[in-house]
Amino acid sequence: MLEVKNLRKEYGGLTAVKGVSFSLQPGDIFGFIGSNGAGKTTTIRMISTLLEPTSGTAILNGADVRKDPMSVRRMIGYMPDFFGLYDDVKVWEYLDFFAAIYEVPVRERAAIIDNVLELTDLTVKKDAFVQSLSRGMQQRLCLARCLVHDPALLLLDEPASGLDPRARSELKELIVELGRMGKIVIVSSHILPELADFCNTVGIIERGEMLAFGEVDKIVRDLHPTRALEARVLRDAAVAAEVVAKLPGVLNAAAKADALRIEFNGDPEAQAEVARALVQGGHGLLAFREEQADLEDVFLKLTTGAVN
Amino acid sequence: MKSKIDALVRENPMRIEIARFRRRFLGFGGTGLNNAILALVLLCYTGLVMIVVQVRGDLPPVAIVLFQTGLFCFFGPAMLHGAIAGERERRSWDLLLVAPITKAQIVAGKFMGALAALGIGAAAMALPTVLAAISYSKTTFYDLVLAEGVSLSFCTLVCAWTIFLSARAKRPFMALGATIGTLALGLLVFPTLFLSLAGGDRLTGEMLTYVNPFAALAILMESGSHAVTNSSEYGNLIPANLYGIPHILIYLGLTIAFLIYAEKTLHFPENEIKFIPQHSTE
Repeated sequence: MLEVKNLRKEYGGLTAVKGVSFSLQPGDIFGFIGSNGAGKTTTIRMISTLLEPTSGTAILNGADVRKDPMSVRRMIGYMPDFFGLYDDVKVWEYLDFFAAIYEVPVRERAAIIDNVLELTDLTVKKDAFVQSLSRGMQQRLCLARCLVHDPALLLLDEPASGLDPRARSELKELIVELGRMGKIVIVSSHILPELADFCNTVGIIERGEMLAFGEVDKIVRDLHPTRALEARVLRDAAVAAEVVAKLPGVLNAAAKADALRIEFNGDPEAQAEVARALVQGGHGLLAFREEQADLEDVFLKLTTGAVN
Repeated sequence: MKSKIDALVRENPMRIEIARFRRRFLGFGGTGLNNAILALVLLCYTGLVMIVVQVRGDLPPVAIVLFQTGLFCFFGPAMLHGAIAGERERRSWDLLLVAPITKAQIVAGKFMGALAALGIGAAAMALPTVLAAISYSKTTFYDLVLAEGVSLSFCTLVCAWTIFLSARAKRPFMALGATIGTLALGLLVFPTLFLSLAGGDRLTGEMLTYVNPFAALAILMESGSHAVTNSSEYGNLIPANLYGIPHILIYLGLTIAFLIYAEKTLHFPENEIKFIPQHSTE
């Protein structure tokens, strides 16, 4: 379990992170969202023990990042937003090197390296030099490196940056798989729809402050208590709007040409009743759909784009 | 104590640096430039061996040791300037800092890589040195061993100095420039200036040989050719038969000091922020 308690980081007069708190359970995939300079990387660096917090702390399975950073390091896999690989080593040597650093017993290393290479789909590149790998493969190798010591927490800072759509999709599947394996995964990204796809928890940060934290659906529901329904009818849209406006759960209904826009806060049964009324009213219902508020809407609604 | 040494040497995962050094500088199969440089070095080496065979009997073996020291003064910084600054520049540094490895292990690993390369270089230079020593009777075995000791200990100092500057610099080329610059200052500019200011005072000159290995090696070479017939030529500070040993001790002492200080300076993990107060990252 990871508990982040009132984490704060100041650089001289600048406060990069202002008391961020949250907690995550094994299997949680946490999407950390924020503009550039919002404080995501600083927070991740503090959790990874790269930066000491000015105040507050993070505790991973009982180990405090401030009091016992070495224990925390043994339990985390950190993938920075920009990273470099060594030029003159082969893929398996690179992984063996980090396995040695993480004190993986010598007799287990070969099997572990084979496993992480298989997991990251790099088995065929085992004997290739790391500099010969494509960007996507290097990204996967960096992830493989994070996994050699079976960490409890993975910190992935913009892992999909610079990847093509296919590599991004593969990375996404891999992260989901890691979540299924019971690891806590923290992913920071700008690509919000992607995060919504595979994160069960998100946090939105701006100017060092956590503006929202929780399950994706709950955050969306909290910020958009009313839903918007859209319908297209063949005839009498204005009349249809008047009829619909009287139904339970409908807050407002307006017609524009053949389209109806309905503000709604009812339950699914009431929603079905709206569709039924449009059909039975003889308006010739052509289309009926719920406008989905997504993470991007939530992000835009919550944030102003300001940076420190 | 034993486990500390084990952690730094035998069980140090940074020993991978030895393989990297070997592959990068001593094996064909790297970049075209590396291969070309290696081919050129091999050509020069063959030429050197042929010259030694040609002029056997006339060439003091310490002259080859002197040449070797000059070579290592260039090759040491060339190999090591990116040891830590390079990690910082290519952004592999953070990956080491978040791993459960100590800063001492990082520095020791880098230094071991350099020592391995130095050892291979010294082994290669041993052939022409031995060839020259066999046919040159004026240099004693003892003097030759002392000369090798002075040369190799100075080379380890150059390696430690380069690692230290690499630990302080943000870019590898800054580290290379600083190393070459300080070596030039310490070995050429400073002694010349100091001697001229001191007016050729004998004691000052003798003190300078402790700083400058080339001066010390030149004296060892002269002693072998019997141009030096009394101990006063070695200086007045130490007995003639011990000449060279203080140099070795000074160079090794400074090597350890610079390595320790290099380890102490590795405290700025933020790539964009050069110097973070030590307490904030320890």
